[in-house]
Order: sequence, then structure tokens, then C-alpha cells
Amino acid sequence: MIRLSRLPLCLRVACRELRTVATSYAVVLVLLGGVFVYGLLYNYMYAPNVVREVPIAVVDHSHTALSRQYVRWLDATPQVTVALRASDMLEAKQQMLSAQVAGILYLPSDFEQRLLRDEPAVYPFYASTDAFLYYEALETANLQVMEAIDDEYRTQLMPYLTLPELTAVATRTPVTVVGTALYNPLEGYGIYLIPSVLMIIIFQTMMLLIAMLTGSECQRYLLRPYARLQGRRGGIAISLVCGKALAYSVLYGLFSLFLVGGLPLIFDIPHAASLSTLVVLLIPYILATAFLGLTLSRWFTDPEAPVLLIAFFSIGLIFLSGVSYPLELIPWYWRVVHYLIPAAPAVLAFVKASSMHATMADLAPELLTLSLQAVAYFLSAVWVYRKKLAMRLGV
Amino acid sequence: MPISSLFPFPSSLKKMFRELHRMTSRRIYLVAAVVLPLFLLLFMCTIFGSGQMRHLPIGVVDADNTSTSRSIIRNIAAVPTFTIVHHYADDAEARAAVQRKEIYGYLSIPHHFEADMLGAGATISYYYHYALLAVGGEVMSAFEQALIPVQLAPIVVEAVSLGDREQGIEHFLLPMTADDHALYNPSLDYSVYLSLPIYYIMFQILILLVTLYAVGSEAKAGTGGEWLSAARGNIFVAIVSKLLPYTLIFIAEALLANYVFFHWLRIPFTGGVALFTLCSVLFILATQSVAVILYTLLPALSVVISVVSMVGSLGATLSGLTFPLSAMSPVVRYAALLFPVRHFTEAMQCVVYFGGGLMACRSSLLVLCLFPLVAMALLPRLRMIMVSRRYDTFE
Repeated sequence: MIRLSRLPLCLRVACRELRTVATSYAVVLVLLGGVFVYGLLYNYMYAPNVVREVPIAVVDHSHTALSRQYVRWLDATPQVTVALRASDMLEAKQQMLSAQVAGILYLPSDFEQRLLRDEPAVYPFYASTDAFLYYEALETANLQVMEAIDDEYRTQLMPYLTLPELTAVATRTPVTVVGTALYNPLEGYGIYLIPSVLMIIIFQTMMLLIAMLTGSECQRYLLRPYARLQGRRGGIAISLVCGKALAYSVLYGLFSLFLVGGLPLIFDIPHAASLSTLVVLLIPYILATAFLGLTLSRWFTDPEAPVLLIAFFSIGLIFLSGVSYPLELIPWYWRVVHYLIPAAPAVLAFVKASSMHATMADLAPELLTLSLQAVAYFLSAVWVYRKKLAMRLGV
Repeated sequence: MPISSLFPFPSSLKKMFRELHRMTSRRIYLVAAVVLPLFLLLFMCTIFGSGQMRHLPIGVVDADNTSTSRSIIRNIAAVPTFTIVHHYADDAEARAAVQRKEIYGYLSIPHHFEADMLGAGATISYYYHYALLAVGGEVMSAFEQALIPVQLAPIVVEAVSLGDREQGIEHFLLPMTADDHALYNPSLDYSVYLSLPIYYIMFQILILLVTLYAVGSEAKAGTGGEWLSAARGNIFVAIVSKLLPYTLIFIAEALLANYVFFHWLRIPFTGGVALFTLCSVLFILATQSVAVILYTLLPALSVVISVVSMVGSLGATLSGLTFPLSAMSPVVRYAALLFPVRHFTEAMQCVVYFGGGLMACRSSLLVLCLFPLVAMALLPRLRMIMVSRRYDTFE
């Protein structure tokens, strides 16, 4: 067996830290639950990826072949299912109130007449916005059916054209517009969200881990033996910070194998990043997070209280990362925060690397931010630990 | 039996002073119960900026360089969603800029576009960033809207030159037009969509954790017996007097948040103020009850807090706000029923968006009332935990 006391201080600290991790139920629970259960659960929940068969109500006052065809075609789109044929708007609205349907299509009584009478046939389509994905699905489906039926009816309207030479002009399509979704060919919601969630899981669980470990370290005066060691206090503080960060890096190196290496393959979420890019991204990310946690440990005086402050930030981090809402549009003071918290640039960089085939050169701004954070938080962590040692000596 | 034990509340007022003393003795209560909710409110009010996706950076590739292509680009530049930040020489360059996330999409006009348009037919392409789905969706629909005139313009011009009425040919090309209405959020404003629900989802995590910490820290500090004897052994009085101060603080914060969101941020509010206040209060009580239930099931503070720190953020997914629950697997759908935030979101959407009355959201409110009843049924077990002190030092 290796005698711990023979190893350099830094490695001794790392071994002791790993032993503490393994012997605390709460910490093991955070790691197993947070990393493994959460990682799997999120993938499972968002596996459907796209919204299908959104229920709508149809109020058909036209009762013509055209209106029936419209409803039939709308029902046939993958996004929409006609759940109810209401007799009037009141009934449809009632259904919407009880959230049975997410949209209402209203076809007025003169729908077909106006069309054949050479007047614009406008019909209202109401879509609920309580979930934006519902709205998007309904809008897309309705637009597609409208275009399809317009194409179909155009040929029937041909005889009504006033000038015979117009026929040739009107039937050709001079400009075709083609829209292409980049980086998300399945247009899936999970594909967009999961990469960010995986990176935030790394950040949040590591912050919780550090909070619990340093909190109980403070509560039980576990730093006292180090404070009594011979040598410069700064040197001991550096060894402590490096040793702890080493322990966390080893743990999270393994967890990352599962989170960013394994899960994307199992669940078919984007995994375009090369191994070298991932390693280059994860090293500054894990270090910056570890050092940030150790800096904040200045205020972690018991193992439970800090959890109250850390846990609730996870959702906010997604907004700060600029993945769900563009970074250009959030106010400047939150953009500053984006550059202070390692999770925010790391999420962005990971999305770039895994979904967008970005090379290391494309990641340069984020890698620079993360590296600067790692250096800055390392210095502040050492300073915090020097203070802690000095305080402990006085106890 | 003394009569006062039948009416526990007057005496519980006195017991509240014990909790008020505990609350003021440690900073964590102040921070977690007062500072963080206010910070959260500030965050949700400001993070989306104006709430409108405006001036998103995009690029153009103009390989044609004719008056037609320039006029198309001028039209695109006038769309409020876009800011054209760069003219790229070719598609590869524009694509590389998307990769670096400098632009969220680009329009590509091919060589010979104008000539083809007058002859055999031309194609115009746009690309949008769909790894960032929310922004990409906005860019796509703005491009679709802006390019419709480009598709029709050549036909209309030619038909008019042949002597047809402009209106006539437009009607011929688009015989029917859908009139889309986005209900409850006509401007598709992100802050209207997300601020209020996300505030409550994150608030829920804080309520859970603060309640757990307030109850669990008694056992951890070994003061469970003292707490019970202060309530003369009545666990109901003990728990009410302990949690009531927090309940009042949380209710005050919820009311402030509602005022800020509906009055200052002008989020459209169609329902009754009293009813929505009732929803908020029931939500707070139900969430506190869930914390008590979880503590009685898992009475070790460090363990239960780490579990809840993770379970809490599931609320964002299970409220069905981002991705509709009905599109998820049935297991997830049923699991969501166990989260008060799910029922609150339903009630909130019903009251705030649909203008529903008490009868419309009764089922959600009734379920919210069930949580405190379950918690009460488990109180004897909580008493046993406090008396036996079996879990006090469990970690």
C-alpha cells in the first residue's frame, strides 16, 4: 500500500478529497443522481424531439367541398390533428379554455363563394402561444396547407383569367425560395436543448460537490492540520487548491466520458466534435469551474446552506449562455455575467463544437474566456485558502 | 385536555417568535428567502431585454450584383428582425461566419439570378441557424415573410404590363389567405411568454430548499426536541409556527412579482386578480408541503437537500412550458402530476391567458390543495423523526 505521507502535499490532498467524496452519502447521491440519472432522464424526456398531432378545433360554417378538403388536408399534416368539429366559436373557445385544443380554425360561410367570385377568401386561424412550439407547429402546418390548396385551385381558376395570354405567365414560378436549417436537420427540440443541459449538469453538480465538501470542511475544522504544517502559507494554499482541483478533474474527466462522450451516441444527439476539441474545451472548463467553486467556498460554512444558493441558478444559466435567447439581445450587464460564469461560454462552445462542426479555431473566443477565468479563479482560490489557513491558525 | 390545544393558533403565534429568532440569527435565511427571490425577479424582468427578437445579425451573398438582387437585399435590410452585418463574397465565407456564430443566417442570391428570373426560373436560398432553435425559428419566419413578394413580384409585373389589374392577378396567385392570430401574445414577445412562468419555476426551487432547510436544520442541530416542546409536543402547531413566517414572506414576494409582471412589464392579464392571487398562495402552500413530505420520507438533511436541488429544476421541463408535455412519453406525463408547479402552470395559463374563472381551473386548484393534506397525514412520522433523533447525524 502506498503511504499517503510519502506523497507530495498536493497529491495527498487529492487522495483525501476523493476519499471524502466516496464516503459521504449526500455527495455520492449528488454525483450519481446529478450526472447519471439526470443525464439519462433529460435525454429520455426530450427524446420525442418534435411536436406532432397538436389538437385543434375546426369551426366550419362553409360546409362546402373546399372547406372539407381544407380540413382534411390540415388533419393530414404531421403537426396537426383535428380533435373537434365545433358547431360555433363559443364551443371551440370553451374547449380552448380547458386546454383541450391549442388552436381554432374558422372557415366563414362565404369561404368558397368569395374564392370563386374573384374576391380574396380570408379565413382566421387562432393559435395559442402558451407553448411556442405549439404555435410554431400550427403556423407551419397551416401555411403549408394554404399553399398546397392555393396551387390546386389556381388551375381551376384558369378559365376566369381576363386575358388569355396571361395563362402562360401565371402558371410558371419564376422564383423558388429554398430555406435550409443548418446544423439541426431533424429540427428537433431535444437536439437543440440537450447539449446545453449536459454542460450545465457538469457545472451545477461540481458546484454542489464543492459546496458540500468545503462546507463540511469548514464546519468540522478539517483545515486545521494543514494550518499547522511547516512551510510558507502561500505554498500550502497552492497545494490545497491544486490538490482539490486535481481530485475534481479526475472525477469529472470520468463523468465527461459518460456525459459528452457516451450519451450523445446512445441518444443520437449531435456529436460532431472531435475528441481533441472536446478535451481542449473541457480542460479549461472543468478547471475554471473547480477554481470558481473553491473561491466561493469562502462563504460556504456548512454543507447544506450553499446548496440553497446554487441549485436554483441552473435554469438561469441557459438564458445567460446565449443558446436559448441571443446574446446580442440581452442587456449589457447580463452579458458581463456571461463572461464571469464558466458555464455560459462553455455551453456556447460545446454547442458550436458538437452541433456546428466548429473547429478549435472557431472556438477561440470561448476558449480564451474559459482560460482567463481559470487563471483568475485560480489566483482568487489560492487567496481564499491562504485566508482560511490564517484564520484556522488563530482558532 | 386544555381548551387551548383545540385552538392551536393563538399559542402558535407565540411559537413563531422562536422561528423569527432563528431566521434572524443566520444570514442564509435572509439570503435564500428574501435576497434571492428579489434577485430572481430582477433577472426575469431584465434578461430578455425588449423581449422582441430584433436586429439579429445576418449576412448576404450577392453573386448576381444586378438591380434586382440589390433591391431584394434592400428589402431584407428593412425587415426589423434583421441587421445585415456583412456582405460575403461566396457561400463558403458566409457559412464560416455562421459557424463562428457571427451571424444567425444568410441570404444567397446566385449568379445570373435576374436573367434566370425573366427566363426559365431562378432559385433564391436562405440558411438559418437551427442549432440555436429559438433564434433560428425567428430568422426563418422573417425570411419566409420577406421573400413572399420576391416570389410573386415578377408575375405581377408582367401581368400588369400585359394589361391585367394588379389586384386580379394577386388574387389569382393566392386565392385564399390565412389570417394567423397568435392568441395571448400577439407580438410573440419572449418576456411575455417566459418571464412569469420561469419566475415561478425558479421560485419553487427556493421554496422547497428553504422549507427543507428550516425543518431539517432542527434535527441536524439536535434541537428537534426543543422545537417540539416549545409547541407542547403538538407537531401540527410546531410545523405551522415554523413555516408560517416563510409562507408570509413568500406570499409577499409572489404578490410583488405579480404586480411587477402585470403592472410594470405589462404582461397581458385577462383573468381575475383575486383568483390569480389564490393560485399563487395555493402554489406556495403546496410547494412547502412537498418539502415537508420529502423530508419525512428522507429525513437526513444533507441527503434530501441534494435530492431536491436536482428534482427542483425538473420543474422547468415538467411544467410543460418549453416542450409540451403531451408530446412526451406517458411516464413523464404522469410523473409531472406529482409536481405542484405543473398544476400551477395549468392554473396560471388558464387564468392569465384564457381569462378563465374559478370553475375553469378548479381541478388544478383542488390538486394543489391535496398536497398540504398529504403533508398533514405524514406529520406523526415527522414527530417520530424529531423524537427518535435517529437521523440527526446521518450523512
